[in-house]
Amino acid sequence: MSKGRPNTWAKRSALAILIVLLFCVPAVLQNDYWLFVFCLAWINVLMASSLRTIYRTGELSLGQVGFMLLGAYSSALLSKGLGMPVWLTILVGGLFAAAVALLLSYPILRTKGVYFSVFTFLVAEIFRLAMWYTPGLSGGPAGLSKIPPPGAINLLGITLITFTTKSSYYCLLAVVVLLSLLVLFRVERSLGFTWMAIRQNDDLAESVGINVRGHKLVAFVVGCFFAGIAGGLFAHFMHLLTTDATAMFGMLTSIYVAIYMVAGGEARMAGPIVGAVVLTLAPEVARPLKEYQPIVFGALVIFIMFFMRQGIIALPFYLRLWWDRTLGGAGKAP
Amino acid sequence: MQSFINGLALGWIYILIAMGLSLVFGTMRILQFAHGEVYMLGAYAVYDFVVLHGLPFLVAMPLCMATGLVLGLILERFFFRPLGGEFLPTIMIALGVMIVLQAMVTVGFGVTPKSVPSFAPHAVEVLGLRLGSDRLIAVAVSIALILLLYFFLKRTKLGLALTAAAQHREASLLMGINPTHMSLTAMAVGSAMASVAGGLMGSIFPLNPVMGGTALMKGLIIIILGGMGSLPGVLVGGLILGFIDGVAPVVSGPATAAIAPLFIVTMILVLRPQGLFGHE
Repeated sequence: MSKGRPNTWAKRSALAILIVLLFCVPAVLQNDYWLFVFCLAWINVLMASSLRTIYRTGELSLGQVGFMLLGAYSSALLSKGLGMPVWLTILVGGLFAAAVALLLSYPILRTKGVYFSVFTFLVAEIFRLAMWYTPGLSGGPAGLSKIPPPGAINLLGITLITFTTKSSYYCLLAVVVLLSLLVLFRVERSLGFTWMAIRQNDDLAESVGINVRGHKLVAFVVGCFFAGIAGGLFAHFMHLLTTDATAMFGMLTSIYVAIYMVAGGEARMAGPIVGAVVLTLAPEVARPLKEYQPIVFGALVIFIMFFMRQGIIALPFYLRLWWDRTLGGAGKAP
Repeated sequence: MQSFINGLALGWIYILIAMGLSLVFGTMRILQFAHGEVYMLGAYAVYDFVVLHGLPFLVAMPLCMATGLVLGLILERFFFRPLGGEFLPTIMIALGVMIVLQAMVTVGFGVTPKSVPSFAPHAVEVLGLRLGSDRLIAVAVSIALILLLYFFLKRTKLGLALTAAAQHREASLLMGINPTHMSLTAMAVGSAMASVAGGLMGSIFPLNPVMGGTALMKGLIIIILGGMGSLPGVLVGGLILGFIDGVAPVVSGPATAAIAPLFIVTMILVLRPQGLFGHE
């Protein structure tokens, strides 16, 4: 790192340009299918980032999709059944997921390591099965359909923004997800170092006066809150929810979310974001391969774990390492 | 009563799956998420041998076991060993392997459910109950394999070394037991058992590429019921699960049957965060 770090202003303006570019995606793309994929990528970004918040305290949750389900269904049912505005219901969905997480946190946080992962895994499956067997709420095998889109907002009486089209919903998603990421970033800014201490050695952390249980609770509840928000966004984007085992709320999604986080690189905030975007878009690029497509995804994950343990985010570092080892090393040899 | 017996019969097959999972967890300290896929592959191997190649069952089952064994060896040598037992990368590799294997079977055999002709289509009458003899044979094979495993672990040198490594890795290392060989053995034995479980299940129920997920879930439930890495615990856990699977649908409908085992396991984790027979 002899060249020194790029100064923060350059970084910030690059980030601003990137965000502006992201909002231009629907205008450039003009393709409903790809827009759909991009929307899913945003939702995955939020899921992976919320998972990372929990993992910062050292516990890998494999049940994020359960809390996503809670958010999705509470938001969908409130807006469809009671006619509440979608803005409110998405928030209520997130709060409901957080409240359930708070209730469950006592037993869940007593477990550690593998037991924690399995516990959350089972809890998510219980939520899914409970919904599946309550047709009154979930619509049974047919699913819950006709979930309303968000209502139009009146911008200072000048223009009316409606959210019936995919491109406008894309912008809404982008705004909500970016705001959520900002919140997660601020939370980690203030608590991140304590979380790192807990993660490295929780007994030691406790002995120097850190409230381990309390901090784990905060991370868990915040992570589940944003999983619930992601669920709400998903519900009003798809307009249809099913609790089928192979659909969105099956256990495979939790696994995918964990893969996005780790493959992106969980050490940094940008890691899960990059991971979710790359691993959502890469299989779509491989779509012409049809049924071979999941093999590409799985092979990609295995490759990343073998050769880039720090994740995709550390690609520049690895490129430099490989360069030094092969060409750089050869050049230096006398 | 009928479904109670059927549930218990399935319980024995689940025990085979969970034994492997528990063995691998005990020795290598990793959660083998691809275990369900090994089971699924075993079922498809039997389908391939019996339906597509016309081999008799008595030949197909040992071949299926060998397939699982080889798969376990490959997974350990080329996928888990290079990672050195780190928690997160190992889980990720297992998940990647799981996705790849599932997709490979989908490519090879298609997504439509396949069925293997039952190896013993007749039913026998015992004490006024009609029992499918394929299930009885499945139970007999499972019990025989579990006894064989017990004999292997308690009576052979390799098995004793494996038990020692599972009980205390460092201490066994000091006694001159090579942990790498033990991981290889555990993966081979565990995968062979899962594969046979798949083969047995495949002749009772139709097979599809995502059947591994259910098996993994059942296996996880059992090893938590019994405590991670404890083999007698697995036996108890499997019988409890089989009992619930058999009784709950009759008593209170499919909803409870699906949720009850999960709920009981979470309750056990609430009361004993380290499992029923587990020790941390």
